Amino acid sequence: MKKEINSKNKDFLVRLFKEYYFKNIGILSHPNQMHNREFGFMTFDGKVIRHLSFSKIGSLKAFIIQNVPSDIFCSNAYYQFPTFPITEKCWKGADLIFDIDLNDILLPCQKEHTYYICSNCSFVSKDVLTSCQECHNTKILKNTIPCFRCINSLKKETKNLLEFLKKDFGIQRQNLEVSFSGNTGFHVVVFQNNYLLLDSKSRSDIVGYLMGKNLSPESLGVSKDKSGYKVKVPLSGFSYGWRKRIVEKMKIPEGSKDNLNRFIKKIGGYQSLKNEMDKISYEVGLKLDPQVTTDIHRIFRMVGSLNGKSGLTKIVCYDLDKFDPLNDSCFFENDRNVDISINTPLKFNIKGKTYDLDKDTSTVPISVAVFLISKRLANLATCSS
Amino acid sequence: MIVLSIILGKDDLAKYPFLEEAGTYIRESHFDLDDFNRSEFLHIIERAIKRIEFALIQGKVFNDLEKYDIELFTFLVSLIIMKYIDEDWAIKRFSLFEARRVEKFLIADLLKEKDQIKKNLIISRIFRELFQLDVESDPKKTNLFKMNISDYLQRATQFNEEEWKLINRAVDNGYVYLDGDETVRLIRSEIYKLMYNKIKNMNITKIPEQIKTHAILIKNKLTPPIKYHRHITEFPPCIKKALELLNKSENLPHSARFMLATYMLSSGKSVDEVVLLFQNAPDFNEKITRYQVEHLAGKKGSQTKYSVPACSKLVNENLCYATIDCRGITNPIQFGRKK
Repeated sequence: MKKEINSKNKDFLVRLFKEYYFKNIGILSHPNQMHNREFGFMTFDGKVIRHLSFSKIGSLKAFIIQNVPSDIFCSNAYYQFPTFPITEKCWKGADLIFDIDLNDILLPCQKEHTYYICSNCSFVSKDVLTSCQECHNTKILKNTIPCFRCINSLKKETKNLLEFLKKDFGIQRQNLEVSFSGNTGFHVVVFQNNYLLLDSKSRSDIVGYLMGKNLSPESLGVSKDKSGYKVKVPLSGFSYGWRKRIVEKMKIPEGSKDNLNRFIKKIGGYQSLKNEMDKISYEVGLKLDPQVTTDIHRIFRMVGSLNGKSGLTKIVCYDLDKFDPLNDSCFFENDRNVDISINTPLKFNIKGKTYDLDKDTSTVPISVAVFLISKRLANLATCSS
Repeated sequence: MIVLSIILGKDDLAKYPFLEEAGTYIRESHFDLDDFNRSEFLHIIERAIKRIEFALIQGKVFNDLEKYDIELFTFLVSLIIMKYIDEDWAIKRFSLFEARRVEKFLIADLLKEKDQIKKNLIISRIFRELFQLDVESDPKKTNLFKMNISDYLQRATQFNEEEWKLINRAVDNGYVYLDGDETVRLIRSEIYKLMYNKIKNMNITKIPEQIKTHAILIKNKLTPPIKYHRHITEFPPCIKKALELLNKSENLPHSARFMLATYMLSSGKSVDEVVLLFQNAPDFNEKITRYQVEHLAGKKGSQTKYSVPACSKLVNENLCYATIDCRGITNPIQFGRKK
């Protein structure tokens, strides 16, 4: 959710976003088959403009520098007529995409650095708000400043996804693009032609597979019968995919009907096996946003563009282990300072430096100001310009 | 002597008469449609009638397999008769039973054929060339087949049963592993469409008299499906949709049949009325349908009366067509009662 920001903050961000694009426009990715893509933008007033088309990267860059949007998106889909309404665009395929976001990974530390902000008066609370305690406005924004634990969990989940894609789906690293979203997640795009034409239902099946949903005992050859259950090991055995994962986790020697039988008997029958499988599939399954993958008309944040929710850049990660999002994706310099007023005490790390700010006015580098104002956790102080 | 395909044997053409080689054989034999008026072709016509009666009247698959020339001509005459009958519901039902017949032969060939070269040829001619589906038999277990994940998904997502979900399959390195039955099951609707289009796209200017006489007789014997129009607007949209499809003799998935039958039984319809409703299904078999409906009504098996699936389940099964009138209901049975 993104709401309109006050005009002083807006002018400040517009000026700096413009400066960013002026200096770093080369970072902006050049999507393949650009003329078949739909482009979309979000303005600093919170409006979404969609159904645009650019046949050359130069005209897109000129548009960005001239209009300075808060967010820039490009469709994962390829269309014959990208500017037409959705039903008339003539869909020609879409890249397979995945989104790993903190919202889907429930970490205990998140409560410590998640803020609920009133979109009207900027009141901030660490407790969940349904309406503002000060102005009773019901439009509440939720923003998180990811900590090291969050980043590491996101990286781990991303690596697990890459492992699944390689082992089960046969997708090699060179056909994948992994990027930091610029806020609280990682995006993975598959550039492999055989997945291009899959419809939403097929993509839903893929994301269900990765998340470990709907795994049934029947896949191991175990089915209900009058005596409780029966086992018939499938011809394809237990050596592949989820079957292999489940059998390994349950420590059942591969392909052995007797051992599987013994295990089921020991744990208490068909339903107990199902419960055990549900538990394992939840643990091993990935935490993804299924809507992103199943949406075949999505406009997806562009690599090299700024994320309006953080002021950080969506950037490709070539080495996940070494990648430090709050440093490597912050392109604003620390060479100028600006005064900001903080709405709540904040402790965070950005550009290799730890900040511990109280509720008063602080003088901070531009990079910090852009980050906090974008996150609606600070305002430009009245004396600043 | 006409040389048949050097690739597939004559026996294979008997089983798969829709292949290009079968057409070539008939063309190259300089056969003329008027030849069907000759008395020696009477038994072929009678055999074709039997094949059609099996599908349209008895609801059974015609399993007989004769020599390839008899089979090729029987198939051709069956198509001509179906074209003459020209009833969409009948063409759909016939196509479905023909698809089941092909399915039976294919499964047997994939499972029982010892000659790996021949097995690969059948895979290549039918799966690859006809349906653009790359299927390979596993070198370690020859009765196990693998196909690309995306090819699998494009076909398997038409089934709502959990067993077809990718997670319940053996998946490795971009491939899904399936046994022979499952591999063939995946292309059932494609074989059906192939048969249906073959009949629909046939262009016959003059039907031979001997065929026409028999075609008129069987056409008169057919009972057109009953249109279930009664108060159709009162049903919830999911039920309405299922009824509309049945009226068009479309093949409803198992989950939709379950929904429809449990809904009708819960609405107070008798087993007989519900059985009658399914008469329009292309694969209708009264005995099987009655058994299943009685089972759902709690009159067979465990004596449990099955409830109508909840709206949430129907959403997951892609059977929900909710409109504004569905607001506030959690089960189709509440439609029109709860406001």
